[in-house]
Amino acid sequence: MLATLPSPPSRLYFLPLLLYPEKPETTGTMGASTASLLSLYFMSSSFYFKMSPSFLLVNSQKETYKRKMRRIIAEDPDWSLAIVPYLRIICLQHIIDNFERNPIVDELPPTDKVKVLEKLSTKLPISVTANLISDEGYWRRCSVERWGRRDVSYYGNSWRRMFLECHLESAIELFIPNTTDPNVILDMVPFYKNYVKKISVSQLLPPVKSSENRQKEDTLLAVGDGASEELSVGHFDFGMLLDKMTELEELHLVYGVRGCRMNFEWSLFEFTDQDCHSLAKALKSCKHLKVFRLHQSKVNDENVQTLCSIFLEHPSLRELDFSHNIIGDRGARAIGKLMSNSKLEVLSLYDNKIKGHGAQAIAYALSRNENLTTLNLRLNRIGDEGGQCVANALLKNSTLINLHLGSNELTEPTANFLSRVLMQNKSLKSINISCNRLGPDGGKQLQEGMAHNSSLVEFDLRLTEVGQESEYFISQILQRNKETAHRTPL
Amino acid sequence: MSRSNSPLENGVEENAPPSLESEIQEERIAARRLRIAARVQARKRETEEQNDTHHPVVTKELSRSQKQREQSRRRLNKLQSDGTELVTNIQVAVDARESQRRTEEAEAKRQRTEKLENEAKTSLEKFEDIRKKWASAKAKEIPQDLSDALNMQQRHCAQLIEEKNKIINELQQELKVQDDRYVKDLKRQAEDVDLMIERMEEQIKNLMKCYREELTQIEKAFELERRELLHSNYKKWEQTMEHRREKEMEYLTMRMKQVEDQAQQLQQLRVQDAEEYNMIKIKLETDVQILEQQLQHMKATFQLNQEKLEYNFQVLKKRDEENTITKSQQKRRITRLQDVLNNLRIKLQKQEKQFKEESHSLSEDCKRIMKQYQDMQKKMMYFASIDAKRFHEMWIMNEEEIKGLVKKALDANLIIHEQQLGMTYVRPNLPFMRSTGPIIPQHTKKKLTEELAKQFLTAGQKITGDEEGVEESMSAGAQGESHQSREQGQLEATYPENADNLLPQISPKTMKKLLEIMCDECDFLVESKLLKLFSTLEKHEQSLMKLDSIFMALGVENEADVYKLADFLIKYREQQIAENKREDEEDGKINKAKSQSHVSICSEEAAEGSLSMSERSTTTDLIHPNDVLKALKAYTEHYCKPRDKHPLPSFINYEERNDSEDAAFWEAMANVIPESTQRVWSALETELEKYYKILTERSDLITETEGLKQQNTELRMLLHQYINSRVNAELEIPPTQVMQIDQR
Repeated sequence: MLATLPSPPSRLYFLPLLLYPEKPETTGTMGASTASLLSLYFMSSSFYFKMSPSFLLVNSQKETYKRKMRRIIAEDPDWSLAIVPYLRIICLQHIIDNFERNPIVDELPPTDKVKVLEKLSTKLPISVTANLISDEGYWRRCSVERWGRRDVSYYGNSWRRMFLECHLESAIELFIPNTTDPNVILDMVPFYKNYVKKISVSQLLPPVKSSENRQKEDTLLAVGDGASEELSVGHFDFGMLLDKMTELEELHLVYGVRGCRMNFEWSLFEFTDQDCHSLAKALKSCKHLKVFRLHQSKVNDENVQTLCSIFLEHPSLRELDFSHNIIGDRGARAIGKLMSNSKLEVLSLYDNKIKGHGAQAIAYALSRNENLTTLNLRLNRIGDEGGQCVANALLKNSTLINLHLGSNELTEPTANFLSRVLMQNKSLKSINISCNRLGPDGGKQLQEGMAHNSSLVEFDLRLTEVGQESEYFISQILQRNKETAHRTPL
Repeated sequence: MSRSNSPLENGVEENAPPSLESEIQEERIAARRLRIAARVQARKRETEEQNDTHHPVVTKELSRSQKQREQSRRRLNKLQSDGTELVTNIQVAVDARESQRRTEEAEAKRQRTEKLENEAKTSLEKFEDIRKKWASAKAKEIPQDLSDALNMQQRHCAQLIEEKNKIINELQQELKVQDDRYVKDLKRQAEDVDLMIERMEEQIKNLMKCYREELTQIEKAFELERRELLHSNYKKWEQTMEHRREKEMEYLTMRMKQVEDQAQQLQQLRVQDAEEYNMIKIKLETDVQILEQQLQHMKATFQLNQEKLEYNFQVLKKRDEENTITKSQQKRRITRLQDVLNNLRIKLQKQEKQFKEESHSLSEDCKRIMKQYQDMQKKMMYFASIDAKRFHEMWIMNEEEIKGLVKKALDANLIIHEQQLGMTYVRPNLPFMRSTGPIIPQHTKKKLTEELAKQFLTAGQKITGDEEGVEESMSAGAQGESHQSREQGQLEATYPENADNLLPQISPKTMKKLLEIMCDECDFLVESKLLKLFSTLEKHEQSLMKLDSIFMALGVENEADVYKLADFLIKYREQQIAENKREDEEDGKINKAKSQSHVSICSEEAAEGSLSMSERSTTTDLIHPNDVLKALKAYTEHYCKPRDKHPLPSFINYEERNDSEDAAFWEAMANVIPESTQRVWSALETELEKYYKILTERSDLITETEGLKQQNTELRMLLHQYINSRVNAELEIPPTQVMQIDQR
């Protein structure tokens, strides 16, 4: 084996050493060993010369040759090709180990790049990896390891975006005002900035009194214990974050504590005026925002008014969701004004306290609106008065597709108006008026209306006491409409 | 495809259908597209029809699988909607409950507030009562009453407080109930969520199961369909194969039969051919025998001929030898002659060359000599002019000298006559004294055309047409012409006669008309520049200048020419008329007459010269303006050539000048003083000489007396000097006294 070993590799091996004895170091912090190994690596890769294990064996063999003074060793039981890895692999391993201090990815040839990315640690700080690594495989590993399996389609099929968004969300959710250093989040902004498009925060912790300082973050449930009534300081101030997130498009917020269970305390779910103003200011600076959701935050009329006055001038908002709040008629009026002056497409006011007057305001806006496609007024108190107004507005509107008026204390008169809507409107595809006591007469009127309709696909009439006959008839028509709708796209 | 096309077609049909001949490019493109789409559709329809006709079974089967698919889709949809309904039922129930709760809560709240308000009202009343009673209690003076009242008050207060406490308790109770309810709600929500999850999972399971079932069913349906299809195809395949096999067998038997037939035919043909072959062979062999006989015969004749020819050959050979000898001789001779010829040629060339050179040199010489001759001529001309000039100068000098002498002589004669002889003297008339320069003989001098023209024109203006006027003008012309040399009238005596001869019978009027016509018609002969210049002049002068230049162009130089021209023009006119007449008479001979016309002009001129002048001037209306050009052309053809030959440079005048009159001139000069006077002069001379002698004597005497007188005066002066000198005074007796004494 020694006899057949080709000599050129040894020459080739020393030639680059002679040529690049003083290769300039790329970074100052790089260790000497790293430098030498890197230079070795570059030499080997640039010459496309693989350091074969047999070649490395030559050196060791030479020593034994000197020692034993034998020319040929016919057999060596200790030899194993697996013992010594390729120099290239050693170099790559070194790169991987020192990636945090000296990240090298893009300079590598494609095959090596893949190898490095496969073995990179997922624990590396985001400040190193966020902008450097674009490989989805790496980010997938990171995400799965850190957050478990999630549907990546919610994040635009980008694992990196998913990882970074989740990272930011967790940081915000665990942020305790006055206790946590805001720089913990703000320092990472440059790395989030280009990739984060959606922030979905499911809890915002209230500031903690000094007496509760001892309590740890993971025992959040006890945070509210004995907290005093007045909360002078608000929640996390989004103003310092949002104006830097230039790519942000969606923002979901809950000003409250998640999973408080029996430790319920009103102060945990407080959306103060200060919060509202700071949020409004923050939203003003966020020009690309398309979706805004604010759930379960006790948003009252004043807050809605301030927020809506901001959104009036917002250029890109498309979806607005104020579910599970305490918005009343005045807030509804503000929202109606916003509807007629913006390009909102989806509006959700689920579970609020809107009564007839508020519904009137919304219906007026709806009658003139040409952008809105979805309106959700479920669990409000609009009553027959509001229901009639909405139905009248729908006679003029031709863009709305989905309408939800469930649990709104509607009765027979509204059904009367709705049947007219069903006859005339061609754009509506889905109506939900469940949990309204329409009665059998209302059911008959709706049945009449449905007889002339051909566009509606869904019509929820559960718990409306409309009578079985009407329900069956309507379901038949819905079936028919569905079939036609199914056939026409083909 | 058809559906996607239909809106396009509809859209097109609404408008006018685009035509291929349209001017708009888009429309043409649209039209082509439409056509293509229509073709594609037609083809598709055809194929579909074919499919329908050929495979009705397949389409039916396909529809079956589709039916299966549709069925399963419907079922799944139903299942899904049912499932979602099942799941959302919980939500709806919760919603309903929530809304129920809300209404209840609103009601409770209303009741509670009502109750609280009522209670507040009653308690306020009670409190008022208590307060009022405080006043009555204050009024009481008896301690017993007071204590009673106080107790009463205390009791009332306690009652009030108790009521309040009761309400508080009630509210607290309610709160507790609500707390309980919250806990219950939480539990219930948890239950609901659990139920929902359970249902969801169940539904997912159900759905998955159903989907699987449906999938298997669809697969089965498809498989069945496939199998059926395969089976039918296999059957068809078998059938066609069978068909093929049968046909193959048929072909095989047919082929075998054919092979047998053909083998038999071949055999027959072979036998026939063999028989034919034998027959032909026998025939050919007999032919061969005959031919061999002929061959032998031919060979004999051949031998005979050969011998004859050999003899001939020998004879010819000999002749040939002789010929070669003569040929060589001839050749030699030819070469010799060739040499001679060459020599001669060379000689010829040499001579030609020589002659060429000679002729060249001679021509050169000739040229040189011509040049020399020209030079000489020039020189001669130059010298002649110089000589003429010198002659002129000499003449003038001599003339001056001689004139001076003549004058002197005449003056002397005058003095002699008037002073010496005391006679009146008449100076003789001496015409030659006035002229200067050499004498020019007058008959060579000719009248200038310009003057003539002027004369005619001016005359024409003045005269009215009568004969006397003509004569006057003629005489005036003669005067105007001779005013230069009036003294030499005698010499010129010949001239007017000449003139009369030359301008015989043309009246000035006709002349004037002719000139005017020419002036009008021949503008083109005048240079355009000149015409411009003339435009500023008067009309008369203008026409004069024009005429001058026209004459110059025509080569008319002197009076005679002018008359000639005029005469020619008039004759031309007459001739023209005559020709016209002739033309009338004999049209066919026009050309001949024309050709003759030029030749016969001269003779005609002579013949018609006898025509009277008066007749012409009166009868003829002269030449027509249009014919002037033709006439002029004819004129120039006739007269200009001889004129060109006439070399008359100016200096020749001097050469030709004759000196016949010179001697007389000089003689006249010499004989200014006549012989008689000369004789008088000689007599006078002798007498005057005598007189001169006497006068000289007298002058001598006068000079003598003069000298003596001078001596006297001198002496007197000396005397006076002596007398008046001082020495006299010093002297005792001054000489003066002596003198006085003397005098006394």
